Amino acid sequence: MPPPGNEYAAEQLKTQGNAQFKNGDYEAAEALYGQAIQKNSNNPLLFTNRANARLKLEKWEGVIDDCIRSIELLKENMKAYFYLAQAQLAINHPNEALSSALMAYELCSHSAQQTSNAATISALVLRAKKAKWEIRERERIRRRGDLLADLEAHLEVTYKKEQEDIQARIESGDVGKVEGQEEKEERRKEWEKKRNDLRTAFALSSPEMLQKREVPDYLIDGITFEIMVDPVVTKNGRSYDRATLIEHLKRSPTDPLTREPLSIRELRPNIALKEACTEFLEGNSGWVYDCEDGERDVDARWAHLSSS
Amino acid sequence: MFASKRLAKELQKLHDKLPPGITLVKADDLQEWIMDIRVVDNNPIYVGEVYRLKFTFSQSYPIEAPEVVFVRDETHPIPWHPHIYSNGIICLDLLDRQGWSPVHNVESVCVSLQSMLTSNTKKERPEGDDNFVRNNRLRPRDINFIFHDNQV
Repeated sequence: MPPPGNEYAAEQLKTQGNAQFKNGDYEAAEALYGQAIQKNSNNPLLFTNRANARLKLEKWEGVIDDCIRSIELLKENMKAYFYLAQAQLAINHPNEALSSALMAYELCSHSAQQTSNAATISALVLRAKKAKWEIRERERIRRRGDLLADLEAHLEVTYKKEQEDIQARIESGDVGKVEGQEEKEERRKEWEKKRNDLRTAFALSSPEMLQKREVPDYLIDGITFEIMVDPVVTKNGRSYDRATLIEHLKRSPTDPLTREPLSIRELRPNIALKEACTEFLEGNSGWVYDCEDGERDVDARWAHLSSS
Repeated sequence: MFASKRLAKELQKLHDKLPPGITLVKADDLQEWIMDIRVVDNNPIYVGEVYRLKFTFSQSYPIEAPEVVFVRDETHPIPWHPHIYSNGIICLDLLDRQGWSPVHNVESVCVSLQSMLTSNTKKERPEGDDNFVRNNRLRPRDINFIFHDNQV
């Protein structure tokens, strides 16, 4: 434990850091939080606050260090996992980002107040999933590209050999010149047809060509009109995404459909539906994620936390 | 927070298909939309007329209800109804703070208003219309309507 005087000094420095953060001077905030940590390295909040400043400064490695140290001090640390996931996503580590984001979501949904952060975090979970999918998809296209190129090369080798054979037979007098040319032309047409068929087959095998780009209604949340991430079921059997339903229940504790009284405690996870949603997201290319409206205002949503 | 995403999806659906008697007039942004409705049966109170609705969305839509009013211009009158004031303000439980639910949407609101007109038989304004229209300075959603009758 630091001497009590140091703890006080750290608290003062943190307050100054928070003020700089609010002003948008993230460099100054980072430095002040750093000084606070020198006075008292046992307070997990100092690390998450500095991580948040470093997020703004795009010092990703620094964010990750701070988050890990903060988690060492406090295990159930939603904020640290949330910042960590963002930094991991930024340095293109979607697998790690996804597990951090899921951890943050887990902590958030089990927290007593079930805050509106759930929506922000679940958006981050989606972003991590999308990044993961993109990497897989690039790999798939690259591999498929190789296979197609290999097969095309094979066809071409066979075709060239046939042409040479015919030419040889023309030259040796086995076939007449006109006849030989006709055969060559025929073989050329055959080869082109095979090559086009092959290309068509590959084009058809890519899921984007075949799938209807529509999420089935039973996976759609009736409030946001988007695919659910963490569906919960109400008393009347309808399911909604947890994050959005909670937004509604905080305002009006009623079932959205029947208006019967409904409290957050009465919600139950719909595990099978959640699996169906996950499976759909994983199987169905990145287009599902593309419905995102780009950057959302994460800062505003977290403003109340950064001054803690 | 999710208002813009949700509205973008609704708009996509509205462009796709709409119930008879409902048309999308203008949705240039995700704050204010104009819809036209007409009554599809031959209720003599409304025959041959088209009514214009203005939807205004807050950032918290659909958690919060949209503000919906009839607007008057040369070709669009305010429909007669014991729950519609002559300035276009509508007294309908589902548009009220208490009655709203986020599963409602622009289309379902239009359909509800359409059926509220269809089933009406009284060519009347609400009680105290003159007084209300003259004195009301509140936004529709801040008015505490008293739903005194459930027959209309």
